[in-house]
Amino acid sequence: MSKGFASNLRMTLLAAGVLACFLCVGARLVYLHVIDRDELLKYVDRARRQIVVEHARRGAILDAKGNLLATSRSYVTLGADPELLRPEDEAAWPQLAALLNLPAADLAGTLHRGMAAGKAAAAAPVAPDAAHEKRVRWLKLADEVDETVFDRITKLNIRGIYGSRGYKRVYPAGELAAHVLGYVNRDGTPVAGAEKHLDLYLKGEDGWIESEKDGARHELAQFRSRDVPARDGDDVVLTIDAVIQHMIEDELRSIAAKFDPHFASIIVSDPQTGRILGMANYPTFNLNEFSKAPLDAQRNHAVADIIEPGSVFKIVAAGAALDQDLVTPATTFDCGETTILYKGRQLKLPKEDEPFGELTVADIVAHSSNRGAAQLAMLMGEDKFYEYARRYGFGQLTQFQLGGERTGMLESPKNWDGLTITRMPMGHAVAATPLQIHMAMSAVANGGALLRPQIIREIRDKSGEVVRDFPPEKREQVLRPGTAALLAQLLTRVLTEGTAKGSDIPGFELAGKTGTTQKIIDGKYVNNRHVASFVGFFPASRPQIVLSVIVDDAKVPGGIAYGRAVSAPSFKHLAEQLIEYLDIKPAMVPAQGLLALTGGVR
Amino acid sequence: MRPPPPNALVNKIVALTLCLLVFSGTLGLGAVWVRQEIFSTANRVRIAQARIADVERQLDEVTAGVATALSPETLLRRNEMLRLGLGAPREVQVVRVDESPELRLVAKHNREVFTLANASFSGAAPITFRLASASP
Repeated sequence: MSKGFASNLRMTLLAAGVLACFLCVGARLVYLHVIDRDELLKYVDRARRQIVVEHARRGAILDAKGNLLATSRSYVTLGADPELLRPEDEAAWPQLAALLNLPAADLAGTLHRGMAAGKAAAAAPVAPDAAHEKRVRWLKLADEVDETVFDRITKLNIRGIYGSRGYKRVYPAGELAAHVLGYVNRDGTPVAGAEKHLDLYLKGEDGWIESEKDGARHELAQFRSRDVPARDGDDVVLTIDAVIQHMIEDELRSIAAKFDPHFASIIVSDPQTGRILGMANYPTFNLNEFSKAPLDAQRNHAVADIIEPGSVFKIVAAGAALDQDLVTPATTFDCGETTILYKGRQLKLPKEDEPFGELTVADIVAHSSNRGAAQLAMLMGEDKFYEYARRYGFGQLTQFQLGGERTGMLESPKNWDGLTITRMPMGHAVAATPLQIHMAMSAVANGGALLRPQIIREIRDKSGEVVRDFPPEKREQVLRPGTAALLAQLLTRVLTEGTAKGSDIPGFELAGKTGTTQKIIDGKYVNNRHVASFVGFFPASRPQIVLSVIVDDAKVPGGIAYGRAVSAPSFKHLAEQLIEYLDIKPAMVPAQGLLALTGGVR
Repeated sequence: MRPPPPNALVNKIVALTLCLLVFSGTLGLGAVWVRQEIFSTANRVRIAQARIADVERQLDEVTAGVATALSPETLLRRNEMLRLGLGAPREVQVVRVDESPELRLVAKHNREVFTLANASFSGAAPITFRLASASP
């Protein structure tokens, strides 16, 4: 049997030596892990630990056809770490300056100063902590550098030049639907419109990664202790059609050039669903340059301003009287009288634009007789008239989904003075937003049903799945369907033989009502400033489009800004374009069409 | 039987210790290898994620660029710049067709062919065309 190769003494010494070494290592470990633990952990945390926030991408806003109206684009904030800059890279600095559109000398000066400061901080005889605080590791060189430019900068391979990525909101179509979309300001706060009111869907949720980094600041992915992925925002699909929106904005530009109004609004909607296909205002602004736009230009006048509806309001009196079977279209009224006996009092009737005699209800609507409308309202009395005005949606919010709207003004009969029953039917002593007026007309076009205006079509998640849709919402049955159809037919006569004669498009049964109302300045009606409007729909027998053109304080040289002169031509022009774009078929074949079909001369 | 010499036990302990060292060394190396694999996999995942994010960003850039190029304002500007003269048709230019558009187009095509044939072969034997209808 072997005696072994070591003596007991040697073995004991070796064991003691190994044990001593282990004890030393153990003691050191105890010192590092127990006694010096907090201090070291603080240092390690500062040096290696990092929490990287992953910003969620804000959802896009699309029109009804899927055209992009608002999206987020990444940009890079470019900076330098002066401590990592190398003198041998200086040759590439002029190219960097050229890519950033900066003078080469300025950039070189900034980087040299940074390098000098970095060296000074590193050499300063101060405590390590203080030195860490004073070291400059980030010198901003440029804001909002494009990704393509940043790619080219990266290819220059300059050590110490870094980019910090962020997202900014861009609006590819510029000023298209500016008041509907709203915008996100430089701080990333949504300020108005869909951006603000649908922020809950659009913003998404930021994620974060908790991990460690190495000496070169690269993430050590294997040490990720927590990885919460960002959830990108949902996409919002609006009911707006970009082409229709462009048409109405183009028309507004033309109105502005011709009449220099205080403001003007045009709204287009589908009467069957309440979906708004276009909503635009003048003045407007470019969403990509919102900071340059005055506050007035950012105002959505279509919902935020109230005006007296003027003669458009006559649809209330006419509709209500027909709906209660108080009159028929052939019932006549004496519209030549200047006073009328009502509830034992002799009331003065409002003035007419032109002298009338006996008029039927159909003529009262077509020729917009103020006295006729007053008599229709008197026939049903204050309470019933007020009830119908409320049913049409006046004096109430339309529940517009993007908010910012005003209620308008519709006093209850107990607050009316003696003349209100003669003035309100012609659209005085009542105030409404352009959208309220539009929706009231839309009720006539929709078989008497008042709908909630819809501007949001659906919400889609990142994969394109619809997470929420917005079906039509009925608010009120204003008129019986038969009454609404009858009133629609009466309104076609406004364009064929009434106040907007000549604005018709043969075959397409345009129906509508002109409105001209004096503005109230300092509490008094003035003769030289008006709100001109034309609100209508087509084709009258199966309405597909409701269209409102409202122009506030149009300047008409040497004349009054009548609805027929200011708004009706725009209504007709837009109707022609909409008929072509939406391929609306004529309700009846016009004579001109017959010529075309048979190859006749146009 | 004699008891084993005391040194033999020590030798066994030393041998066992060596075995343990080899075993733990192997374990250690294995752990290092696993860590290295974790590191490289995590790094590959990180690079892939960065690449995906990069591609998505580029895609967004392109989508935004396309949207800008397709905006009505830009299209109109290009129409004007390139003098294309494109525009929406006016109602007066529209012919509404109630009959079958296929038959109408075939008839129109045949008329054009007849005109061409008449122009090319004046004096030659007339060409006849028969219209085949696909309707049952």
